[in-house]
Amino acid sequence: MKLLNQSNRRGDLSILISVVAVSIFGLVMVYSASYYQAEITYGDKFFYFKKQLIGLVLGVISMIITAKIDYKAVNKLKYVLIIISIVLLALVLTPLGVENYGARRWLKVGPITIQPSEIAKFAFAVFCAGYFSKDPTRTKRFLGILPVLLIGGVLCILIMLEPNMSITVCVGALMLVMLFAGGVKKRYLFMIVIPVLIALPLLIILEPYRLKRLMAFINPWASPKGEGYQLLQSLYALGSGGLFGVGIFNSRQKLRFLPFAESDFILSVIGEEWGFIGTLLLFLVLFFIVIRGFKIALKCSNFFGFLLGIGIVTVFAVQVLVNALVVTGSIPPTGLPLPLISSGNTSLIVFMSAFGLLYSISKDGENV
Amino acid sequence: MICAITFIFLFVFIRLFYVQVIWGKDLQIKALDQWTRNVPVLAKRGEIVDRNGVVLATSKKTYTIFVRPRAVTKLDETVAVLSEIFNLNEQELKQKITTTKVSEIKIAKHVGKEYIDKLSNYSLSGVYFAEDVTRYYPYDSLLAQVLGYTSADGNGISGLEYYYNTQLSGTNGEILYEADLTGVDIKNKAPSYVPAVNGLNLKLTIDYEVQQILEAITDEAMSEYTPKSASAIVINPQSGEVLGMAMKPSLNLNNVPLGDLETLNKLGRITLVADCYEPGSTFKVLTASANVNELLKGNKNAYSLEHVYSSSRYRYVEGSKIKCWSTHEKGKHANETLADALNNSCNPIFVDIALALGKDNFYSYLNSFGYGKVTGIDLPGEAQGMLLPKSAVLNADLARISFGQAIAVTPIQLVTATASAINGGKLITPYLVKEVYSSGGTLSLKTETKQTGTTVSAQTSKIISSYLEGVVSNGSGKQAYIEGYKVGGKTGTAQKYQNGVISQGKYVMSFIGFFPADNPEYLCLVIVDEPVGGTYGSTVAAPLCKKVFESIIKVKGL
Repeated sequence: MKLLNQSNRRGDLSILISVVAVSIFGLVMVYSASYYQAEITYGDKFFYFKKQLIGLVLGVISMIITAKIDYKAVNKLKYVLIIISIVLLALVLTPLGVENYGARRWLKVGPITIQPSEIAKFAFAVFCAGYFSKDPTRTKRFLGILPVLLIGGVLCILIMLEPNMSITVCVGALMLVMLFAGGVKKRYLFMIVIPVLIALPLLIILEPYRLKRLMAFINPWASPKGEGYQLLQSLYALGSGGLFGVGIFNSRQKLRFLPFAESDFILSVIGEEWGFIGTLLLFLVLFFIVIRGFKIALKCSNFFGFLLGIGIVTVFAVQVLVNALVVTGSIPPTGLPLPLISSGNTSLIVFMSAFGLLYSISKDGENV
Repeated sequence: MICAITFIFLFVFIRLFYVQVIWGKDLQIKALDQWTRNVPVLAKRGEIVDRNGVVLATSKKTYTIFVRPRAVTKLDETVAVLSEIFNLNEQELKQKITTTKVSEIKIAKHVGKEYIDKLSNYSLSGVYFAEDVTRYYPYDSLLAQVLGYTSADGNGISGLEYYYNTQLSGTNGEILYEADLTGVDIKNKAPSYVPAVNGLNLKLTIDYEVQQILEAITDEAMSEYTPKSASAIVINPQSGEVLGMAMKPSLNLNNVPLGDLETLNKLGRITLVADCYEPGSTFKVLTASANVNELLKGNKNAYSLEHVYSSSRYRYVEGSKIKCWSTHEKGKHANETLADALNNSCNPIFVDIALALGKDNFYSYLNSFGYGKVTGIDLPGEAQGMLLPKSAVLNADLARISFGQAIAVTPIQLVTATASAINGGKLITPYLVKEVYSSGGTLSLKTETKQTGTTVSAQTSKIISSYLEGVVSNGSGKQAYIEGYKVGGKTGTAQKYQNGVISQGKYVMSFIGFFPADNPEYLCLVIVDEPVGGTYGSTVAAPLCKKVFESIIKVKGL
């Protein structure tokens, strides 16, 4: 039972407690943000709450499992995970994919809807960690890093085809961080960064909706009923919260004014109901998780554990920050959920599992 | 890398603080606007009553019915019920409700309570009603042009309704409902009320009984002579209070053709104030007054009261030949004094007077009697009349002005000027609104008689009054004579011009009369424009004025 031989060691419980606490808070806020809309759309004000509760229960279970197993076991799954991810992402583009709001991002299998791109992010982190840790010198040769670039490229293209620019950027950022953490030479990094910096504006110009969003971000009041609507509604919500908030369940903006109040823009509702004090406390906890996560990764004696930890925390940090920047109108709007909090089962389960792994990694650090 | 992430977190904290705390109030005010749906509470428009409290214009509480399509649950039933009750096309209504992009559709406006009762038999979600106000005039066309009417949204757009719109309107209140994006009300949220402030009421100088008399007389004139128009006004010549004003043709205020501007302009004009006409012989009162007043002041150019004027029918002024309407044959208009000239309405005598007094002096009388400027009556659209500028006036013009030609005046100017000639020389401002008061009875305005100038001396006034009494008792105004009452007056027959030439057979017949002559309380001007049959003011307008006075005497028990 090599798989469980570390289970008697103590890990960093604070990260698990923080994650579960944030997720429970998320569950309450999903209810608060969604009940009005859910009542009208589905005739059941607990519609989103129930879904999220299932996600939370499954997330906790899988987190316990991943926390108990030895994270190194995941290394063996690196090819399986990445192949599954690519297949699922490809399936999304077939008629099996479910289209919503003009994008194909979901797979529906019976009663279960999953979002493969959520899985792919972590699969890629596992793959990078596994691939580099097998032979750390790979990072010194261009041919050595080529597989990572190729697989990262394939994932990015598949996700881009959905289209889902924000997750693509997330995966791209993850790839860069993994290369950096793996010790790739600086000139290789620039070779990657520069084309990306050129491609990004091109991708924006190619899709008219992205350009419109960009313009709306610069001046949302120019199109208060059109492209600028979502950002304005988000700002109205945050602003109405003020310092102390209007109190839980009292948000006015969730009364169908703010689109995606329970998912991508749940932070606006939190800001409205809890005020700046609430958002500050929430982000201090999220910041704690990120810093603690990086510490765990850095302390890990195992190169695979180190890389995997960095990968997990990077995905989390990038998503948290991008979401907050979008919601506060600091960068152009893009649809990205707030991890652990926004409604969405796949994301919740995958993130909790990943933090379970991080806990497992933390057990390896104390021995050093 | 940790540094970079820490830095971005710090940025997020600062940004959240900025948006939520510093920018917050601003954003909240903007958001507040979209959170509420407001239903206006219409202020009740003030009433208009006559001097004794008879209600002439009032507002009824009615209802506007509307549908919020997105809140409709039972579409077919809703469409069926609404089209049944409000007599609408079922197909069209259904189409409207299902395809519209607006959040509210108006179904009916200004409907009575009975419709609300019918609606409440069904429980239709998405169907709402709000109070609205409908202006109602209990006497349809009585005093129509003067009262005026309101637009569809309840603003006064003519007559007193327009002139006193600010006072009558009041301030609308509103009910603020908290609603979601689609306008659906939020449960358990009490709406907040901003009460409406009702409009103020107007008490007029109009006497409903006198007004009724004038309406009847002008109707009679219309049916008897089929003229273009007939109008009559009665004022108190001492105070300037207008007791009645009737103009025919008229309109029904409860059914105003708001879209038809041509008809509105034709029927809704306050012609007694807004239109000019050539007054003809009624104007001789001014010329006579000027002479007597100058005489008493010691002006050598004025003729004495006993002066016997030339009996010739003609006067030659600057080469133009001016003649009397009478042939002067068989001893008519011979050896007249001023009193005789008034009795006979003999044109040449007034030409003599005007020329003797001279342009400057005569014009000073025109000015002091108020010609060439508005009287200031509280009605919209008052005209100034047309008075040749003094510098351009030749003696030939002056000669004609002396008997009411080559000058255009508004009826209200003639009434005001004549009033001053018989009330002791006071030029007063005619007015219609006596009091402005709130429903609670608080008075916010009380109009007092306003004297703007003096025209002639009290003694002159006395003499003119007695002369005009003579006109009625044994002159051209005989048809206005009432046995046992002292009635004074003057006839007027003015030729009409069309395209600058005298239009044959077209006259404006008028009579201005007053009683009791020694202390006048009623001054009446009757104008019949282009009557068919009847050639003189004496035969058309004087009998009408007599009937007005007889009716007043009867109604008031004088």
